[in-house]
Amino acid sequence: MDLIQILVNGLSVGAVYGLFALGYTLVFSVLGVINFAHGAVFTLGAYFTYLLIGGAVGANGLLAGFALPFALPFWGALPLAGLGAALVALLVERVAFRPLRRRRADPLLALITSLGAGVILVNLIQLLVGAESYAIPTGALGGLPASFPLLGARVRTVQALLLAISLLLLAVLSLWLEGSRNGRGLQAVAEDAETAQLLGIDSTAMVRLAFGLSGFLAGVAGGLVGLSVSIAGPYFGIGYGLKGLAVLVLGGLGSVPGAVLGGLIVGLAEACVPAEASGWKDAVGYGFLFLVLLVRPRGLLGRPLPTKV
Amino acid sequence: MDAGLLEQMLLGALLALSVYLPLRCGQLSLATPGFYAVGGYVAALLSTGVPAFAGTGATSPLPALLVEMVLAGALAGLIALAIGGPVLRLRGIYLAIATIALVEILRVINLNLPFTGGAMGIFGIPQPFAQPEGYVAFTLALLALACWLCQRLEALRLGRAMAAIRDDELAAACVGIDTPHTKLIAFVASALLAGVTGAVAAHFFNSWNARAGSFDASITTLAFVVFGGSRLWPGPVLGGLLLTALPELLRPVGDLRLILFGAVILLGPLFFPQGLVTAERLQRLQTLAALLPRRRGAPLAP
Repeated sequence: MDLIQILVNGLSVGAVYGLFALGYTLVFSVLGVINFAHGAVFTLGAYFTYLLIGGAVGANGLLAGFALPFALPFWGALPLAGLGAALVALLVERVAFRPLRRRRADPLLALITSLGAGVILVNLIQLLVGAESYAIPTGALGGLPASFPLLGARVRTVQALLLAISLLLLAVLSLWLEGSRNGRGLQAVAEDAETAQLLGIDSTAMVRLAFGLSGFLAGVAGGLVGLSVSIAGPYFGIGYGLKGLAVLVLGGLGSVPGAVLGGLIVGLAEACVPAEASGWKDAVGYGFLFLVLLVRPRGLLGRPLPTKV
Repeated sequence: MDAGLLEQMLLGALLALSVYLPLRCGQLSLATPGFYAVGGYVAALLSTGVPAFAGTGATSPLPALLVEMVLAGALAGLIALAIGGPVLRLRGIYLAIATIALVEILRVINLNLPFTGGAMGIFGIPQPFAQPEGYVAFTLALLALACWLCQRLEALRLGRAMAAIRDDELAAACVGIDTPHTKLIAFVASALLAGVTGAVAAHFFNSWNARAGSFDASITTLAFVVFGGSRLWPGPVLGGLLLTALPELLRPVGDLRLILFGAVILLGPLFFPQGLVTAERLQRLQTLAALLPRRRGAPLAP
């Protein structure tokens, strides 16, 4: 395989990992915990996209044969699926995170409650639409060709879109975090929730904002991956979620550029694994994470936390 | 109750204890399923590949199982010893995710080694016990031993050093506790227990593959501990027993089974943030137990 092809494959997969890790990082920076339901929200985003472009449910599940009475073009369906996923993420926050925060419980518990929420979501999907895989037809992209030549390599349009949309979302998010009132409020809460509250920032609203945004990113990523490789069943988000977790720590918890950098590194490293050793591909990202943590215990771009005595 | 389910519950309790040991000194390590898988492979490879371990009768010899358990525990412990030093410098969620990464790396290695049977794994592992009841008795003895050791730990200097690190690592170091050393001991002990448990489990399940140690298992075993209570050893044991049994007991509700399981995991920590077993509840139970025989056995008249 030639270099350009490896580069494109690696960057487009890495962009998805990055989007995933961004969602984790938004929640982590305001709450200091990891949302294990994130992978399930990503999966839901893919199913929402499939339904919104007019796809019908298969023969299994309670909703067998169901289809929406309208069919949107992919461009309309993707943001709507993101919004749907954001609503689900808000619901997850409401049932699995807020009660713990209100009781000032050990943050470790949120790992378990969010896992419970994820288990419920994944099995709800299975109950409703069955465990079969769904493919989003590539025709959903309208008049765009399936692939195009670039510097002597053939690039699938979907891959280019994945990369472009991820980078766009990242740029918008960074600008918004730095420039807008809410974005800075979010950062203030991430720095110190209590002080932010004293300064008149509604930290509960900021937490909700973080969950909504992370759900939106996950939903969009799910829709894009669904288009790129088809939806392999209710569990298909879990592998990406796990990889996203490794990427998150690799880049440094709570760091937005770190999440993207980590995603691109892991994506590229995986793309470099030759086809005959593809069984080892999954170990590359984790091995990389392991090595980086040994040298830099806070990840590539993570800030060292001061030790409180 | 079905002896097979009971055996799975006991194995769950052993794994929960393995997660509890590092947590007892404040280390959120999720590496248990990785060591469990390694231990299972040791037993599976030895008993299917070495004639002396397989035996000649209907059941494989019991001493062979014991040797496998020792070797499985030793290999898991050695891996933990080798990586423990650098890994245990990580804190909190970083440690948790690094150990999840370790589990995944071990899974990929187990999947791709030339002699571990690939995705299908290893089949037809010989049975040291003809009936599941034999496994139950054996595993119960193992669990009792593990519980006794955990109880002994409370009285030893090592156990108190672990508790001190959990409450405040810096303060513990200031009073002269060798914190890296203590953390490493807890990590290795956890790996050893998981490896031994894997060796028993491989025989019981009759086949073994890389799915034994996965990310899901990491989080499920953590749920055992959080659900049961992470401060006293009866907590993880109870959590492991209950949460392993739950999906099976929920079988009558059919498709809703795993949704209800998720709901239990979601609601458990909300209603019991300290877990089911706490010092106060244990105290109350002891008071009750002390009252009961006295009432029944009190002499009526001198």
